[in-house]
Amino acid sequence: MSYGEKHIGETLLKVDNITLAFGGVKALSDISFEIRKHEILAIIGPNGAGKTSMLNVINGFYHPQQGRIEFRGVERRAMRPHLAARQGIARTFQNVALFKGMSTLDNIMTGRTLKMKSNIFQQAIYWGANQREEIAHREVVEKIIDFLEIEAIRKTPVGRLPYGLQKRVELARALAMEPDLLLLDEPMAGMNVEEKEDMCRFVLDVNDEFGTTIALIEHDMGVVMDISDRVVVLDYGRKLADGTPAVVRANQDVIDAYLGVSH
Amino acid sequence: MNPTTLRFGIWMLATPLLIATIGLGFQGLAAVNSAMFFTWGYFVEVLIAGLLQGVLYSLVALGFVLIFKASGVFNFAQGSMVLFAALTLVGFIEMGLHWTLAFVVTAGVMVLLAMVIEKVVLRPLVNQPHIILFMATIGIFYFLDGFGQTLWGSDVKLLDIGIPKDPRFILEGIFEGGILVNSFDLVAALVGAALVAVLALFFQYTRVGRALRAVADDHQAALSVGIPLKTIWVIVWSVAGIVALVAGIMWGSKAGVQFSLALIAFKALPVLILGGFTSIPGAIVGGLIIGAGEQVAEVFVGPLVGGAIQDWFAYMLALVFLLFRPQGLFGERIIERI
Amino acid sequence: MLYREAGQFKTSYSADQSIFPIRQDRIALVLFGLVAVLAVPALASNYFLETIFVPFLVFAMAAIGLNILTGYCGQLSLGTGGFMACGAFFSYKLAIAFPDLHIIVVFLLAGFGTAAVGVLFGVPSLRIKGFYLAVATLAAQFFLVWVFNKFGWWTNYSPSGVISAPPREIFPGFAVTGAQADPITKYLFLLAFVALLALMAKNLVRSSIGRSWMAIRDMDIAAEIIGIRPLWAKLSAFAVSSFYIGIAGALWAFVYTGSVEALAFQIDRSFQVLFMVIIGGLGSILGSFLGAAFIVLLPILLNNAPGLLGLRISVELISHLEFMIFGGLIIFFLIVEPHGLARLWQIGKEKLRLWPFPY
Repeated sequence: MSYGEKHIGETLLKVDNITLAFGGVKALSDISFEIRKHEILAIIGPNGAGKTSMLNVINGFYHPQQGRIEFRGVERRAMRPHLAARQGIARTFQNVALFKGMSTLDNIMTGRTLKMKSNIFQQAIYWGANQREEIAHREVVEKIIDFLEIEAIRKTPVGRLPYGLQKRVELARALAMEPDLLLLDEPMAGMNVEEKEDMCRFVLDVNDEFGTTIALIEHDMGVVMDISDRVVVLDYGRKLADGTPAVVRANQDVIDAYLGVSH
Repeated sequence: MNPTTLRFGIWMLATPLLIATIGLGFQGLAAVNSAMFFTWGYFVEVLIAGLLQGVLYSLVALGFVLIFKASGVFNFAQGSMVLFAALTLVGFIEMGLHWTLAFVVTAGVMVLLAMVIEKVVLRPLVNQPHIILFMATIGIFYFLDGFGQTLWGSDVKLLDIGIPKDPRFILEGIFEGGILVNSFDLVAALVGAALVAVLALFFQYTRVGRALRAVADDHQAALSVGIPLKTIWVIVWSVAGIVALVAGIMWGSKAGVQFSLALIAFKALPVLILGGFTSIPGAIVGGLIIGAGEQVAEVFVGPLVGGAIQDWFAYMLALVFLLFRPQGLFGERIIERI
Repeated sequence: MLYREAGQFKTSYSADQSIFPIRQDRIALVLFGLVAVLAVPALASNYFLETIFVPFLVFAMAAIGLNILTGYCGQLSLGTGGFMACGAFFSYKLAIAFPDLHIIVVFLLAGFGTAAVGVLFGVPSLRIKGFYLAVATLAAQFFLVWVFNKFGWWTNYSPSGVISAPPREIFPGFAVTGAQADPITKYLFLLAFVALLALMAKNLVRSSIGRSWMAIRDMDIAAEIIGIRPLWAKLSAFAVSSFYIGIAGALWAFVYTGSVEALAFQIDRSFQVLFMVIIGGLGSILGSFLGAAFIVLLPILLNNAPGLLGLRISVELISHLEFMIFGGLIIFFLIVEPHGLARLWQIGKEKLRLWPFPY
């Protein structure tokens, strides 16, 4: 793989002056940045900086009091999570949010829900159109299973899987949606070095092979600096810096926020 | 001024206005439809009767709230605990005990019952999903119904502990002919109010009460600071048992001690969703609203649709209310986090 | 040694996705079907057919319905009795108003009518969850029974409030409802009808709609974020569930009892079906059948047990003891196996795969 040739395109999602408050507490104030096609954007910041809130705003779970969001050049209104999914935004969670009562395969198949067209009567009869559709989507899902190397656990209930694998299944479910924009909330949290390396590889491969735009939250600075094309730094709900890893690393505000300032 | 006080003040002003508006509505209806009967004195009388009835609903709802607050269990058996307590009390009185002594003994039985339930049902089911615990309490419901009637028989029994039952007229100066109020209902309301006050103090100011609130907030955290969960559960179920006993005395003196006592649980459920499962003030206010609303609706709306709407009116009232305020009257607004 | 899947390789996704992927299961199913169709009618007396097999099948239908809503979609409902009443009275009105309509069409239409009512009472589920919703479904229970009890139109102004199923034939010469209906015909009709609808339920829960229900059950927020509309998923679960429960109510009135009043569908009925679902196993179609069998058989056993043991107990005491034992068994059962009979069945099968070797 060669990253040098990667072509980063125009703006995919633009966040403009977003302010979000719960009661009197401001979680985000006046945040603006953009995510460009085909890039890997890392959002970093100390705990409580508002990173997860930012992702929640992007996929329509929280509704900001102020600001605009443009996706593919169209300003969106009254966003709900399922509408965001329909537009091509997929997401994984900080605390794994899998469907515990279902097998790995079924979990990933739920990611195909939006693409399945047969109606409730066809599904009740099953044989015919619905079966053809199930099999077609199963083939897509099996490709993702191969890609993420989780063949052995496809029939296992996800509740029984170790944490690292659960994170991988969650990524698989998001990939099954064939999203344009993939939001990853701490995909490597709680993993050992080996698992982290695997996950990095998967993230880079997804970006490279499927051309998926990725925005991720991560605490491990080594990982962030290695894999991301650009970095946005948040602190106490404000944006501190925005730029390539090298630029961000040199930014005085960022250094102060992470290392503390002597007064 | 803090927002809670402000909101309280607004409601204190708005409630009489709301009631007056509803009254005016009925007056209008009566003017159009000659089958309807309406006078302001009668309206207030029905309203008061409903409010007093509502206190008794609150009394039952209170038992639910206590257990739900401390253990997250939706205790469906609260109704059968009321029946069981009343049956036991009557049983002891029939054996020749004075009612005060019988009360103490029955309270003891309820504590014993709480211990058995904790040991046999709750402890083996700890960490199971809520629905399983709920089903288990339905099991307790059936068991207690059968057990109480096996022990004490299923005849309708009279319970008389000397509460006056004569009707009396009040406010004769304001409304023509005065307003008829049952003095039994008044006593019941006073007892209910006293019990609530005692419980509120107990929760707020004793060590056990503090532990209870801690457990209600977070089981794991409470365990980790050394609060004995099992003891707390026994205490809560005992308190709920004694509340059931008081409710049983009130309902039993009013309507006789019989199987249908177990079914008053169904009257308390809409109170719960109206007031919120975890709120003691919610249970009180919810009970008053349900009691008054139900009575007024039965008397003034019932004739229009064929009567006997008491069975479902409270549920519909609570349901419509929930559509606008899903967390109930006093429930806290939930901010979902992911 | 007998129950081994080793050596049975799947070469296509369709084979892997079939309901019974293991050959031995398919053989067992065929044998079971033969017993149900041939041996049961030949061996069981009319009394057994009428008191055990017919109610078992009717309850199994209701349990499948509730299991779809509560077991698969996670929405606890206590309104089953009310929806059964809907099915019973809808089909009665339809059958009387259109005497030429085939009885199966009547049942299906009653099911669709009940589905519409179910959707209506499912609307609160969009805003409220858990026990709040359970209590809200009680509104449906009390309101519906009141409607059918209060308004004479539903019973064609029968003074007692009781409706009697008019005689109808499934094929010319084979009556399934009315006094002339033969228990064996009734049983075979129910067997086919319930088996077919159970198969359709199984198909639904293994397709995308079933996965949407389970996703909502397991984590509604995550479900919404992958594009499942909570509105559609919950209301479709209410609709399908009420459809099955409505048909169960119609079968209850027409095939099982033959005559019924609204009070037969009170809150006890809701609990009865809920017990079947929990004891059988939440989120399992097979469990619905096992739970229905358990709850139908239990009271019969309890009723006959003292007689078999040679004890003489008054009828009243028996009914109290029955309550106690019933309640006690429920608790015992929940403690021993909270996931129900279906889970026990699964554990049994896993043991059998390894048998006779311990590992």
